[in-house]
Amino acid sequence: MPFLLTIYISLLRWRLTLGFWTAAPWGGFTNFADALTDEGFLYAVLRTFVFAACAVAFELLIGFGLALLTYRESRGRRFYLTVFLIPMMIIPVVVGYDFSMLLVDTGPLNSVLSVLTGQDVRIRWMSDYRAAQVAVVIADIWQWTPLTFLIFVSGLSALPPEPIKAARVMGATRWQVFRHVQLPLLKPVIVIAVVIRAMEALKIFDMPMLLTQGGPGNATETLSIFLWRNAWGFNKISYAAAASLLVLALFSGVIFLSIWLLKRERAQLEEVRA
Amino acid sequence: MRRRRAAGVLRHAVLVAWVLVVLFPVFWMVLTSFKDAGDWVSWPARWAPFVDFEPTLLNYRQIFYIGGTTQSGELRREAAEQAYVIWKGVADSVVIVTIASVASLLLGSALAYAISRFRTGGRNYPYTILTIRMLPPIVVAIPMLIYYTTIPELFESLLGVRVEFFDTYYGLVLLYIVTTLPYVIWMMLAFIDEVPRELEDAARLMGAGRLATLRKVVFPLVASGMMVTLLFVFILNWSEFLLALTLSQPKVLTLPVLLNKFQSAVEGRLYGPQAAIGTVVTIPVVIFGFLIQKHLVKGFSFGMIRR
Repeated sequence: MPFLLTIYISLLRWRLTLGFWTAAPWGGFTNFADALTDEGFLYAVLRTFVFAACAVAFELLIGFGLALLTYRESRGRRFYLTVFLIPMMIIPVVVGYDFSMLLVDTGPLNSVLSVLTGQDVRIRWMSDYRAAQVAVVIADIWQWTPLTFLIFVSGLSALPPEPIKAARVMGATRWQVFRHVQLPLLKPVIVIAVVIRAMEALKIFDMPMLLTQGGPGNATETLSIFLWRNAWGFNKISYAAAASLLVLALFSGVIFLSIWLLKRERAQLEEVRA
Repeated sequence: MRRRRAAGVLRHAVLVAWVLVVLFPVFWMVLTSFKDAGDWVSWPARWAPFVDFEPTLLNYRQIFYIGGTTQSGELRREAAEQAYVIWKGVADSVVIVTIASVASLLLGSALAYAISRFRTGGRNYPYTILTIRMLPPIVVAIPMLIYYTTIPELFESLLGVRVEFFDTYYGLVLLYIVTTLPYVIWMMLAFIDEVPRELEDAARLMGAGRLATLRKVVFPLVASGMMVTLLFVFILNWSEFLLALTLSQPKVLTLPVLLNKFQSAVEGRLYGPQAAIGTVVTIPVVIFGFLIQKHLVKGFSFGMIRR
């Protein structure tokens, strides 16, 4: 029902300034045509996917590495676990504040970089086109690596110990055990981590909104921000509705893929257990 | 033996490096919250309290209006108003998030129980539910906005009563229930699946009714799981930004929206007060996190990992 209404609205030329939507003139498919030929929209799609891919790739690698180092009982494990989870618990808006403090051109990040490189580094993190894009990804990595880490730690510590012991007894090296025993057993966990993080990363809104409001120019304008700007910034509700339906169509592909992956892994798990 | 030791040292070096990466922004925020205006963005950055700069409580005073900030009456009133708005934001957030999280937990647990025991909705139902969560909230927000503007009109013309959803507590509560339900179902499904059916059957045989079985057998076993789920959902709702930004304002303001307003409303960035607010709202959630840390590892398996 909400979606039927959205479809209907997307065929109108409704702006919030026109009052209630029954007063809006009929627009036919013009909104869809506009969106598909709108460079801003298409680049926002591309940008969102690139952002998500970069951020998720780093989050998975770092999260997995850290999980490998901490999943076994050892000295300081509790401490590391606790500290590593902190970023996830902080409100994104606060993380946005925080990073805007860190990233001002006279901020601590630049001074750390200056000390490390021996030069006077003055990167304008939030007003330089490329640097702003990197900044958003960095903030996202900082905030969400804990989630992949958590998923991997719980996955690694739940692995059955028998196959690993058996392999060790048969003289496999640590690397061989990891490569041929642990990694295959971990596949479902990796799939979950990818799916969950990709799902969330494609929705990215808070970080670019808070750090740069989608700017400079449109450097960090992701899909969510694009739609938000159109609906609430420019009041073009019908246009935003049409564009969001296109996004919906696009995302259905991603969603089907991830559900198919989840199901397959779950079926395999049940087979193994049975 | 020597090689192992070296590996151990390297391991701790890597871990400590990441600890620094994690803690540094937090440290900087807390540090900034004690700085006076001139020290927020000075170059080179000021690191050491008492040496580089004189720490001050001014930012905290300004936010929470502890005795007012200045002697002048005008500014005093302004500070009081600002403090009032912030406290209202905290109150709004606490009320909305608590109600929504608890309701979502109860509803979701019941649904998860039904799915787990009776396969309600078929095998694919949980996956279908998960798709709701996969949609970008903005795609949900636009139809919701249309809904929220249409339903009151509809009610008014049909029943003659006007029920407003936009910018109300229950409008936001309903939204949060809908958006967090998928996670509740998925997490609870994992916990409920773990309760052996035989236990329930045994209780039933001994003459306990369905409800009594639920209350005395199932509930105690999943209680800790429910706690984890509740806190996870609480964190999600507590930090939700987009929906609150678009569907409720200006009367109902949750904390994230309020914080964002605080940033754009004043010219320039008030790093000090921002840092102070950030520090204050972060503390409770981090304490929560410490408390449930042990359960978190288990709760995050989404039913895919079991011992």
